[in-house]
This record gives sequence, C-alpha cells and structure tokens, in this order.
Amino acid sequence: MTITVIYGNEKQTVEIQGNMTIKEVMDTMDISSQTVVVKKNNEIVMEEEIAEDGDIIEVIRVIYGG
Amino acid sequence: MKKCTKCGATPVIIHRKASGQILCKECFIESITDKVLKGIRRNKLIEKGDKVAVALSGGKDSVMVLDILNSLYERNIIDLFAITIDEGIEGYREHGVEIAVKNANKLGLDHRIASIKDYFGKTLDEIMTDDCREHGACTYCGVFRRWIINKIAREEGATKIATGHNLDDETQAILMNYLEGNIDNLTRIGAKSEPKSDKFTVKIKPLREIPEKEVALYAIARELDVHFDECPYSRESFRGEVGRFIKELSVNHPTIMFSTLKGFDKIKPAIKKEFSGKKVKIGMCINCGEPASHELCRACLFSKKINNEE
Ligand SMILES: [Zn+2]
Ligand SMILES: [Zn+2]
Repeated sequence: MTITVIYGNEKQTVEIQGNMTIKEVMDTMDISSQTVVVKKNNEIVMEEEIAEDGDIIEVIRVIYGG
Repeated sequence: MKKCTKCGATPVIIHRKASGQILCKECFIESITDKVLKGIRRNKLIEKGDKVAVALSGGKDSVMVLDILNSLYERNIIDLFAITIDEGIEGYREHGVEIAVKNANKLGLDHRIASIKDYFGKTLDEIMTDDCREHGACTYCGVFRRWIINKIAREEGATKIATGHNLDDETQAILMNYLEGNIDNLTRIGAKSEPKSDKFTVKIKPLREIPEKEVALYAIARELDVHFDECPYSRESFRGEVGRFIKELSVNHPTIMFSTLKGFDKIKPAIKKEFSGKKVKIGMCINCGEPASHELCRACLFSKKINNEE
C-alpha cells in the first residue's frame, strides 16, 4: 500500500504494511503527532484514522518546542 | 467510521482524550468558541463598551483571539483594533506582519504597526549580534514589545489589551516560575492583569484554558490566515525546555495542563496574600515618562545599553 505524505516543503511516497493509523505513520517518520495537524485528502483527520491506499496525507507542523 | 458525539455527523476532526468527546468540524468550532466566550464572562475579562487592543503577531493564537473577539465587535458589544510589533527578525517576522495586516484588513479593523527599531534604534537581530549584550533575545523582545504595546494602547484609548496566551503557555509559565523559585512572578499569572499603575492597560488572556493544539486546529478548521513558523530565537529559552517537558507528560496524562492551571488558580490568592508584602512604589521613568519602579524603566535602561549611551 502506498500513500503520499506532504510535510513542509517535502513530498514523499511511503510504503505501508497492512492497517496503519495516521499516528503510526507519523511514528515511523519520527514526527510527533502532538505537534501537527493532519489533513487526509484535504480534510482534517484524527490521529487514530486509518491510512488507505492512495491517500494524500498533508502534515502541518503547528507547534514548536514540542 | 466514528461519529460526532454531539450531533452524530461525519467526518470528525478531534478526539478529546481528556473528556472522551469526538467532534465534527462544526461542533468543534462551536464548542471552542463557546468555551472562550464563557471564560470571558466568568473571569469578567471584557465589559460592554470596552475598547480592546489585540496584540496581533499573525500567529495562530493572536489571530484566533481576533477572530473570536470580532464576534463581540460585530454585535456592537466592544470596540476592537489590532497592534502588531515588528521585532526585526529577518526571514521570520516579515511574513507574520504581512499576515497580521491581511487579518485586520479582512475584518475592516484599525491596525497600528510599530517596530522595535523605530522606538529603540535597533532591530532584535542587531541587538543579538552584539557580543556585549547581557540578556537573551526573549528578554529584550518582551520588554520592548510590552513597552510599545502599552504606549500605543494608551494613545488609542484602549481599555483592555488581549493577548494570545494559551493553556500550554500558561502552564509553562506556572511551572517555570515555580521551578525557578520566582514567587513574585507567580503572583502575577492570571486571566486578567492587575496593573500597579493606571498608565498600564489591563491585559486579558481569552485563550488561557484552550490547549495549544486546539488553537491550531481551530485556525485550520476556520481556514484563518495564520503562519506556523518558528521564531528562530525560541530555542534558547528555559521556557522552551519546560514546555517540552509538560507536552511530553501530557501524552499519557491528557488532563495534566488543565489540572495544573486549576490548582494554581486555587492557591494563587494564598500566595498573593503571603507574598505581596513588599510594595514597590511605582514612579515615572525620567527618560520616557512610562511607569517605572526605578529612575529608568527597563526599556530605557536596555535601550541605553544596546546603544552604548552609558
Ligand atoms: Zn457535530
Ligand atoms: Zn523609560
């Protein structure tokens, strides 16, 4: 399963295995889910939402020092 | 798919771990607006007829304050305008000032923009390149910014100055001052300031009970024009370290910031009673005329030093 993650100015394709939540995806990328707001296909989602094949995940860093 | 615990709609955007609430976008915006307005009433932060100055940086917190107070302005309950300070931080501040202008214009509000360089001769960047400086960036920035905001607020006849301090900021301040044993500073933390001089305008913190993450979520859900850039000087401070520590604790203890704040508010009257013994006499700065507890106010003292005038 492949998803696209946009974080800051970077856009990357991420391969994931099975059902993973947004939070688990963030964890594998070393991004603290406490400090970001995530949009999935342009809609704000909760961190426990499941990422699906082809999703475009936009990660907006909103808190620094966290 | 999870449903909003308030109205049953999908999709949902937040799961509040502290309360178990799951909310859709509309219910989240409504719940948070409601919470802020209730807090304003409960703490008597604003009265009908107030002229409120919002200290508008262009970041999420102050833009949210402006957005919510604008609803009171539209209902003719208060008068409202914005003050933006350009600290002079290259590659960071220009963007914030630009966004502040857009927000004030969008709502048709008066907006005063002032720079630290205009008032004190140097930008924050210039102050920080001097090896002889005695303080960190946040100290200079804070002292100069407060001086300018207070002066402009008085010039414009403001009765309140609203700032964007959120729950994270406030618990950070409580913990930091406690850890440093700075009891005098602790007695001054609160939703509403109690100025020692009538030349200081009362300061209010409408977002004091709103977690920082929810402020950000509100700004994005309302599609407000804000910037999320990091101040290049913010890493230097002890405050930042304390902030990281509480945020880390909050992961497994989602109510920790709220309980810290509530507990502090309960013991504050006792601390004040016990420690407000030494009354500092507030006079007038011989240089600028602003309130000061010594001959010179702190802003003038700093200004003389950074401009090598002593
Ligand atoms: Zn709802
Ligand atoms: Zn002075």
